[in-house]
Amino acid sequence: MNPIIRRELLELLRTPKAIAAQIALAVACALLVLLRWPASGVSDLGGARSLQVLRVFGYGLLAGILFLVPAFPATSIVRERIKGTLALLLNSPMTPLSIYLGKLGGTLGFTAILLAVTVPAAAACYALGGSSTSGGVAWLYVVLGVATFQITTLALWISSRATSTDFALRTTYGCVLALALLPLAPYWALQGEASDLLDVAAWLRCLSPVPAVMEVLGHAAVGTHGLGDTGGAIGKFVVLALVFGLAFAWATVAQLRGRPLDRSRAAGVMTQDRSTGSQIFRRLFFLVDPQRRSASMPLFVNPVMLKEFRSRKFGRGHWTLRLIALSAILSLGLCTAAAEGAIGWGIEIIGGALVLLQTAILILFTPSLAAGLISTERENGSWQLLRMTPLSTGKILRGKLLSVVWPLLLLLCATLPGYVFLMTIKPELGPQVVRVVVSLGLTAVFAMLVSAAASCLFRTTAVATAAANLALVGLCIGTLLAVIARDAPFGKSTVEAILTVNPVAAALSAAETPGFKDYDLIPLNWYVVGGASAVLLLFVMVRTRRLSRPD
Amino acid sequence: MPSDGPVIETRNLTKKYGSFVALDSLSIAVDKGQILGFIGPNGAGKTTTIKILVGLSRPTSGTATVAGIDCAKDARKIKRLLGYMPDTFGSYDNMRVGEYLDFFGAAYGLGRRDRVKRVDEVLETAGAGKFKDLFVESLSHGMKQRVAIARTLLHDPVALILDEPANGLDPQARIEMRGLLLDLAARGKTLIVTSHILPELARICDRCAIITRGKLRAYGTLAEIGRQLSQMRTIEVLLATDRELDRAVEVLRPHVEEKSELTAHPAEYAVRFRTAKPDEELAGALAALVGAKLPVTQFREVQTDLEEAFMTVARSDDDAGAKA
Repeated sequence: MNPIIRRELLELLRTPKAIAAQIALAVACALLVLLRWPASGVSDLGGARSLQVLRVFGYGLLAGILFLVPAFPATSIVRERIKGTLALLLNSPMTPLSIYLGKLGGTLGFTAILLAVTVPAAAACYALGGSSTSGGVAWLYVVLGVATFQITTLALWISSRATSTDFALRTTYGCVLALALLPLAPYWALQGEASDLLDVAAWLRCLSPVPAVMEVLGHAAVGTHGLGDTGGAIGKFVVLALVFGLAFAWATVAQLRGRPLDRSRAAGVMTQDRSTGSQIFRRLFFLVDPQRRSASMPLFVNPVMLKEFRSRKFGRGHWTLRLIALSAILSLGLCTAAAEGAIGWGIEIIGGALVLLQTAILILFTPSLAAGLISTERENGSWQLLRMTPLSTGKILRGKLLSVVWPLLLLLCATLPGYVFLMTIKPELGPQVVRVVVSLGLTAVFAMLVSAAASCLFRTTAVATAAANLALVGLCIGTLLAVIARDAPFGKSTVEAILTVNPVAAALSAAETPGFKDYDLIPLNWYVVGGASAVLLLFVMVRTRRLSRPD
Repeated sequence: MPSDGPVIETRNLTKKYGSFVALDSLSIAVDKGQILGFIGPNGAGKTTTIKILVGLSRPTSGTATVAGIDCAKDARKIKRLLGYMPDTFGSYDNMRVGEYLDFFGAAYGLGRRDRVKRVDEVLETAGAGKFKDLFVESLSHGMKQRVAIARTLLHDPVALILDEPANGLDPQARIEMRGLLLDLAARGKTLIVTSHILPELARICDRCAIITRGKLRAYGTLAEIGRQLSQMRTIEVLLATDRELDRAVEVLRPHVEEKSELTAHPAEYAVRFRTAKPDEELAGALAALVGAKLPVTQFREVQTDLEEAFMTVARSDDDAGAKA
């Protein structure tokens, strides 16, 4: 057997965490089915109830794969490089291909085991009937398996090129989300029109696993309009994802065959050492010039916060500003489009789209920004150095949290022009917008503190990021699945109670987004999320103090 | 800070993890401008001692002080007095050396203008001035060691604790590092240096402490350590020619212990032997050599080698371990 698979899969399976994950998943799936299992002798001949369970189940598994699977392959090769074990592996008789297959096999094997744990619950749905919409439960597993392959190969490729674990994680999560959502956009924009580009867009759309899963779960037509042909997404996805995966696998093996360790980071020419013309050009066209010698840190600014901005690749000033600029453009673009009547949407849909846009950014980027705050320091040995400085634990923590707060605050502010636009169109929306903004602010704070708590708890950034994603996706997206199950099996009050813990649901409800309009979540949701945030902050403070105390 | 007395001192320092004794009544003292070589096998308790001294760990009993300040009770004050270079570098991605040092300077509360000057000074002292614009992660191991030394000097500490500073350095860098450490001691800094490269350490240390299984086995100058570890001394007799070596062995034989082995080294014109006899009796041996009209050019005690001392301690520790 490939020794890397043995090390990365079999040894992982022996750990209590792996056993706990399998048991938790099996119990969660069993509970889901038990809720829908007919209590009396009356069976649901139409199979609608089992299909509802399967939908919750299927989307939950897809979210799990999109948010949890990338964390492990993304750090797999880069961590070996940092620790120096990649050099040992490449120097062993193992070929780059067998090293790669070992890494791929380890991740795919563990994901396959987790998926296998859910099979009895899926089989129960099948036994209840009604779940053979597009080939039945088996297709769901085929699609999820292929999606895992597609994501893992992409993550391993990024890992083979990255120089740090947090860069690998952020890039991988960004790419996975882009892969899941961006291919949907052209088809969504072109559907219903007689255009040659529509066929291309229909194929492109199938690069994402979302349409295939939707087709399996009988939601192929959701979100479509006009006379578009939405069929055949499963087959197209399987073909495209396999080609995509094989291409990335080839690129990664080629990278390993080359000289992955033979690279240096050129310092480049410092701006101050360039010609006057070049200096003027860079001053005019660079928002933040990475080649300019940084000024000495001012004493009144928290040095830890500035250090975080300077040392993060993604969170560095120029990237943050680009992201904020993009958010502002998208926000204004959506509103302008609505205002000009170019799109026949209502204010509520525009508001909902804005909320979803911000939520997606918050849920995706907050763990990337905050889950490595402490764990990265502990992982690379610099936590010991920080502890040796006279900086108090409070100042260190403040600096770390502020380095996340500022980009999040700027991101939130970037979409404010969109809301102002909405209020200009419909002035009575004022109080509603305030509620939305407060809910989004709470979402940001909550996501940051969940991620920071994971960062204090785990030693490695990969595990901390995966744990933060799991918690946030479970809470902010997982509980949204309850809306799908409204009236079957849950009543309105149950769904409302479940959504009370979800800050995203509160924002959607405040924006009166269709599907969330009926739920009265505010202000109870604010109290719950605010209280949970306070508890998390306390935990982070206590835990950081404990970590910085003498042993 | 007291003007006299040791800068770094530990008294009966003990650290226990449950029933495991990591450090057992360690007492050492290092004066201003001195370099203490702190050696011992892996897991001997060196890092535990260092962690207590720098305030990252609390002792179970006993005291550790730096400039008279208790390391456990006043850990914050200690941080300003000590410069600590751990065996891991602790780099941050995407930071240039100048930015990296600027951050640590700010963390130590150095003013902005002073910091700019100080960063240049410490980089110059550590011989790393030309690395200022390079990315930290792109530095070689030797370059990182220099930057780490610069980092420890930023806040002008009275004492430096350096964990394996010469580890992984090439011979030239090692020689330069040796010069740098001697230069720092000459400037009045007190240094504790751990290293497994014992000949290197022997060249720079004023005193050495050998520790095994948490216990201090030998402590003092190299000569003192030699005497502590063994009653036997190595005496070397150098002659002007190799022709008389056998006769010199014959003359010396009655003056040394029966078990002692007298060995002739023709290539060096030398005879060596190990003895526990006092200087007065050895004077008789020298008189016998001179009386026999042998061309004696030198009669001297060979300095105990640090490696030899360490191996003696390690062997006796292994024996003790085996008996236990």
